[in-house]
Amino acid sequence: MIRLAIGTLRRHRGAYAGTFLAALLAVALLSGGGLLLASVLTATPPADRFAAAAVVVSGERAVTVETVTHKKKKDKDKVKRKVKTERLTGAGTLPTGLAARLADLPGVAAAVPDLAFPVEVTAKGRALRGADGAPVVGHGWASAGLTPYTLRNGNPPGRGEAVLDADLAARAGLTTGAEITVTSRTGVRALRISGIAAPAGRDGLPAQGALFVADTEAAALSGLDGPTAIGILAAPGAGDLRAAVEAAIAGQAPAGQAPAGQAPAGQANAGQANAGQATAGGSTVVREVTVLTGDDRVRADLPGALPDYIAPISIFGFLIGITAFAAVFVLTGTVTLGVRQRLRELALLRTAGATPGQLRRLLSLESLLLAGCAAIPGAPLGIVAAETVAARFRRLGAVPPQFTVQINPLVLIAAAAAGLLVTAVAARIAGRRAARIAPTQALTETAVTPAGGQFTRVLSAAVAAGGAVAVLTFVPLGGPFGMGMSFVSSALLLCAVAALGPIAVRPLTAVVSRLLGAGPVGRLAGQVTRAEPRRVAAVAVPLVLMFAINATMLLNSRMLTGIAAGEQAARTAPATAQVTAPQGLALSTAETVMAVDGITGAAATIPTRIVVVAGGKPEDHAAQGLLITGTQPALDLGFTAGGLPDGGFAASRYLAGLYDWTVGQDIELRLADGHRVQLRLTGVYDRSRGFGDAVLPAALIAAHDPRGLVRGISVRYDPGTAERIRAAGPGVIVTPSSATEAAGDAQEQQGAWELMVAVTLGFTAIAILNTFAIATTGRRREFAGLRLAGATTGQLHRLAAREALIVVTAGLALGALITGIVVGTFSVAQDGVFRVIVDPATYATMAAGVAALGLLAGVLPARVLLRRQALPALTDDQ
Amino acid sequence: MRNAVVEVLDVTKTYPGGGARALDGVSVAFAAGTFCAVMGPSGSGKSTLLHCAAGLDRPDTGRVVLAGEEIGTLREPRLTQVRRRRVGFVFQSYHLMDSLSVWHNVLLPQRLAGVRPDRGWAKDVIRRVGLAGREDDRPARLSGGQRQRVALARALAGRPEVIFADEPTGALDLATGREVLQLLREAVDGLGATIVMVTHDPAAAAWADRVVFLADGRVAGELAAPTADLVAARMTAVSAR
Ligand SMILES: Nc1ncnc2c1ncn2[C@@H]1O[C@H](COP(=O)(O)OP(=O)(O)OP(=O)(O)O)[C@@H](O)[C@H]1O
Ligand SMILES: [Mg+2]
Repeated sequence: MIRLAIGTLRRHRGAYAGTFLAALLAVALLSGGGLLLASVLTATPPADRFAAAAVVVSGERAVTVETVTHKKKKDKDKVKRKVKTERLTGAGTLPTGLAARLADLPGVAAAVPDLAFPVEVTAKGRALRGADGAPVVGHGWASAGLTPYTLRNGNPPGRGEAVLDADLAARAGLTTGAEITVTSRTGVRALRISGIAAPAGRDGLPAQGALFVADTEAAALSGLDGPTAIGILAAPGAGDLRAAVEAAIAGQAPAGQAPAGQAPAGQANAGQANAGQATAGGSTVVREVTVLTGDDRVRADLPGALPDYIAPISIFGFLIGITAFAAVFVLTGTVTLGVRQRLRELALLRTAGATPGQLRRLLSLESLLLAGCAAIPGAPLGIVAAETVAARFRRLGAVPPQFTVQINPLVLIAAAAAGLLVTAVAARIAGRRAARIAPTQALTETAVTPAGGQFTRVLSAAVAAGGAVAVLTFVPLGGPFGMGMSFVSSALLLCAVAALGPIAVRPLTAVVSRLLGAGPVGRLAGQVTRAEPRRVAAVAVPLVLMFAINATMLLNSRMLTGIAAGEQAARTAPATAQVTAPQGLALSTAETVMAVDGITGAAATIPTRIVVVAGGKPEDHAAQGLLITGTQPALDLGFTAGGLPDGGFAASRYLAGLYDWTVGQDIELRLADGHRVQLRLTGVYDRSRGFGDAVLPAALIAAHDPRGLVRGISVRYDPGTAERIRAAGPGVIVTPSSATEAAGDAQEQQGAWELMVAVTLGFTAIAILNTFAIATTGRRREFAGLRLAGATTGQLHRLAAREALIVVTAGLALGALITGIVVGTFSVAQDGVFRVIVDPATYATMAAGVAALGLLAGVLPARVLLRRQALPALTDDQ
Repeated sequence: MRNAVVEVLDVTKTYPGGGARALDGVSVAFAAGTFCAVMGPSGSGKSTLLHCAAGLDRPDTGRVVLAGEEIGTLREPRLTQVRRRRVGFVFQSYHLMDSLSVWHNVLLPQRLAGVRPDRGWAKDVIRRVGLAGREDDRPARLSGGQRQRVALARALAGRPEVIFADEPTGALDLATGREVLQLLREAVDGLGATIVMVTHDPAAAAWADRVVFLADGRVAGELAAPTADLVAARMTAVSAR
């Protein structure tokens, strides 16, 4: 059997090239996407600031909720524990006395309270950042010993002084004695550089710049009420300190705090504020004081000082979802088409005495051989693809600059195995029917697949379409999963179209072919396409895929950007101008600015994130700290219920809907540093895009978000005030409201989407060319017959073009239908407006591009085939 | 010889890469309104001669005159245009379009030629070959003999100057083959068609007015008013050489 398989593969090299190519690309995409995802999942922080500490005690870095459910089953009480965590964007602090207590433990040389807080440094009028735009993190000088940073020159910082790491100093050309301006949430300070320090063997840590101030000034500068971590330095000859440290913490845990490790003891019930949460056995928020050693120590660092891989995980997760779908979809179609092209040969084998079972095995074996061969170049190609995409994403800022692709052989093997599996399954399914072909079919002119399967087609299409409808109906598309879910629903609809295949294509070609069927060639093209819905479906489906998937993603992302820009404009409509500072403004500075004479209304916002615990699951959301002054409104959030918070908070319509909140309710929220607050919901607003889903008092956010800087102030003022505003704050920029742009991360997102679209566009384009080529090679006899009936080569070219036109039109129609359903529903979910086209230019470009590609793909292979075979092969029976 | 429809003059042909000449100085003419058979051992160049005479292939040297027009030197697409106006084909494998019905297959050459199909004549031809009522069927649903009749009807429907047939009965059983030969004969006698037919079967050749013998790419004699026995005897002689 294997001999026969190798033999047929050798003989039909051309016909198999298509399947080979599809399998190769599929494996490449799967391994590329897999590598990227695996790389972000396993990405480790580049360096450990706590390298010199034996043990690090960390404050809260995540909200952890444990849900315990009791199931009574036949007298047995089954207890199920489910732990869900959500990372904090800030760092929780530790009790102030803890370090002193730990320092007394035997074997401990020192317990150093570590304060880590983001600062903005300006030197010589320019913002100072580390390598690749890394943030600068401030510490007390004591923290230097944890890495350790040692002075290269100068002295430790005293009052009004700072020590910079050597890398930062070199970037700005700063030497001891130079003046820098440091902005933190507590205000702006001018500091004098007293010395330059560096870790052993290098100028600085890779992803964070370091600024040290006097320990006595660290608290005031950071606004922290305690250390964010405690680094424990072991005395020489001390054993493992971990257990001792854990015991010390457990023994004297303050009320409401869990002891060391993950075991909860003094549990603070999370469900008090939310009625729906107080279930029997319910969810518990675990307050963590974590003791870390070894590679885990780095987790105690300030979250903002470590490269953030959360966003890339979802981006790459999505990327692999899309590419895997497209790859599997295309590969299945190609294998099926390839099998169908060879029905005649299969029938001949049947005449020669092959049983259906043997044919099935032959087909499986062939496909496995093919996919196996394809995997060999496919996997390295995947590495290249992953590196290329990673490089683009790094430039876009969608992944941290430190991100590198880890070449994980397991991922490559898994991708190859997936390619093999898909090919084998597709060949098996296609072969199941083909193998039943009657031997007599070999003797007739054409071999046709045994009919039937109509029911299966309709059934599977109905299931897929039903799934799409369910997703579109029940998933809140307006939320953060909207994009992903709209992709899922268009993928399901595509599956439905592919399952229907000829059934979906037939009525379309019936109409289209008559519209386009002018002239003798057009008429013939119409007759041929109407007569062969299977072939038309086989080549139209990749066109549908290309248009539907890419148009949906592109249009939806354009739509979101557009809506966000619209909401941004509406929000700031009442304001005369936006006041910003490149470094951000400390709240105190903002207050000074807002008090400038002539300002009639102002709204300052501090971007942050909050965590809401509901149903045993912590979830984080974008939010803003908001300070309103003046008598006239400068910010219009579009309240649908209630109004601006006055000590309480307001939530977006999406958030209020998600958690079923009503105005007047008291809600428990967690701030960036994990701090719990109970606030009354005072209003629900509409214009949340590009802004945030909750609005809280600015002072609260400034105190609990480590950055805590005002990003912008919407101001409304009388003419002539702009100058005074500029004079009020250092480096303040006043931009008329009309000239403001969309937020940076929105553009970043759009860039990521467009890159993903580029990847799938490339792949689906190749798939289209490939499918058309396979379909055309199967028509050699048909073309020969036509030539014999008197068709000139030119007529055959025109025939191929006409057929391609019909197929493209049918494919685009189906693609537009799917896109319309998904984009329309998505659009209504966003803001109640029904849009289908969204962006006429993008839509037209997509449609024209797909059409051009389809026409090219339809015409080119026919040309090659006809050139190679100037005259019909009259006796050739292949 | 009275007005020849096809004249082949001193034609040679060697296939690319293939040693001996497939045709080695063949001269033969086929007269209008006659039924001529071409016979010879396998590999003697019958199909090659037919392809050259019909303008499906171009000879290396020599001339081919089809209905007064020199086609040996014509290029595409002119060659196809001449061919589809003047020539009809019937082959062992029928070369029908599977996606078209019988009716559309019959009209296809005229459609491709851009001429208004003579529907009345086409109907008549389909009736004559015994396929009345099957016009809307697809070829896939017809028997081998029926398909060959469709091919014949298609060849006749365009009223070509000459019909070339390469082993038209090769894939058919004896009785069906006879019916097809009968139809060819009737086309010549009743409709005034000219037919050149390649065959291996002496009984089939006996339906013709004249038999031309080929051996090793050369004309090896001919026979007028053939009978099956005469042809068989002659074939044995030709093959033995
Ligand atoms: N496409 C081709 N390429 C190369 N050589 C060919 C080709 N077609 C035919 N020949 C050679 O040319 C010679 C004549 O072939 P041709 O097909 O004309 O023979 P034939 O008389 O029709 O034989 P048969 O009765 O078996 O059909 C043979 O030697 C054959 O091998
Ligand atoms: Mg032959």
